[in-house]
Amino acid sequence: MYEALFVTPWPWWVAGPAIGLVVTLLAWLLGKPLGVSTGYGVVCALGSRLSFFRAKEYDERWRLAFVVGLPLGGLIAAWLAGQLSPTLAFGQLDRLTHGSVAAKAVLLFGGGLLVGAGARWAGGCPSGHTIVGVAQGARSSIVATLGFMIAGFAVFNALYLVLGG
Amino acid sequence: MRLGFFTIFGTLFGFVLSRGRVSDYDTIAGMFRLTDLHLFGVIGTAIATAGIGLWLIRRGGNRTVTGDPVDVRRKAWQPGVFSGGLVLGAGWALTGACPGTSLVQVGEGKLVAVFTVAGILVGTYVFGRLRSFGDRPGLASEPHPA
Repeated sequence: MYEALFVTPWPWWVAGPAIGLVVTLLAWLLGKPLGVSTGYGVVCALGSRLSFFRAKEYDERWRLAFVVGLPLGGLIAAWLAGQLSPTLAFGQLDRLTHGSVAAKAVLLFGGGLLVGAGARWAGGCPSGHTIVGVAQGARSSIVATLGFMIAGFAVFNALYLVLGG
Repeated sequence: MRLGFFTIFGTLFGFVLSRGRVSDYDTIAGMFRLTDLHLFGVIGTAIATAGIGLWLIRRGGNRTVTGDPVDVRRKAWQPGVFSGGLVLGAGWALTGACPGTSLVQVGEGKLVAVFTVAGILVGTYVFGRLRSFGDRPGLASEPHPA
């Protein structure tokens, strides 16, 4: 039982419904829509006077409180699985970058820039749009998700085609 | 104190993403290569379950368990939805992570993910800065010294 819950990765038919349940419980117990990327905007709003970050959603402190929990969840999951050992390795990306930490840093930081700017431009990320938005049948979320998937497939396969690995 | 409940939910979400391999670079790579369909199953069943849950809440009068209004609305249409989606998708392909999973990765001890998190934060700020150009002080709005 412990093994299945905390050590073996969950199959999709457990992980997916568990995510949906978290979304539902957050709405039913605390009345809020699950979303992550706006929380990064809340951080920006704390340290900047730009008018963009004066919008109401960036004043919602609960978003920051929620986001702070994410690394904690990852930490607890890794710890309970007995796999908590900090590493510079990063899966198959190590093949692409020949294990160079500098190359990974550049790629991840550059990609992160696109993720951050794209999320604000699209008004959400794979949590708020793809899961919560599509679950509500929102047109904006369906279109945003198409964008995530189209560019994701194209850029990923182009990257490995060009750089190999 | 109420904020603590949100942190508990964030922790729960991070835990579930980690256990479901959603924060694993190789899972994302497998999805984009179509060699591992795990993530499609995860996303599909997450949408279905959340859809049913949110529908039940709406049917129950959109109230929380304590009777407060539920603040979960459809995201309004905005012009950048598709273009922004493409930009985020490109970043998703390069990092194998989204705003949520990059933070989970840091917690799991995948240290290079701090670069992803930093990039997302800077990208968010840069976008806000570009969108705030009209009202930046220093140009027309600031009185010039004689």
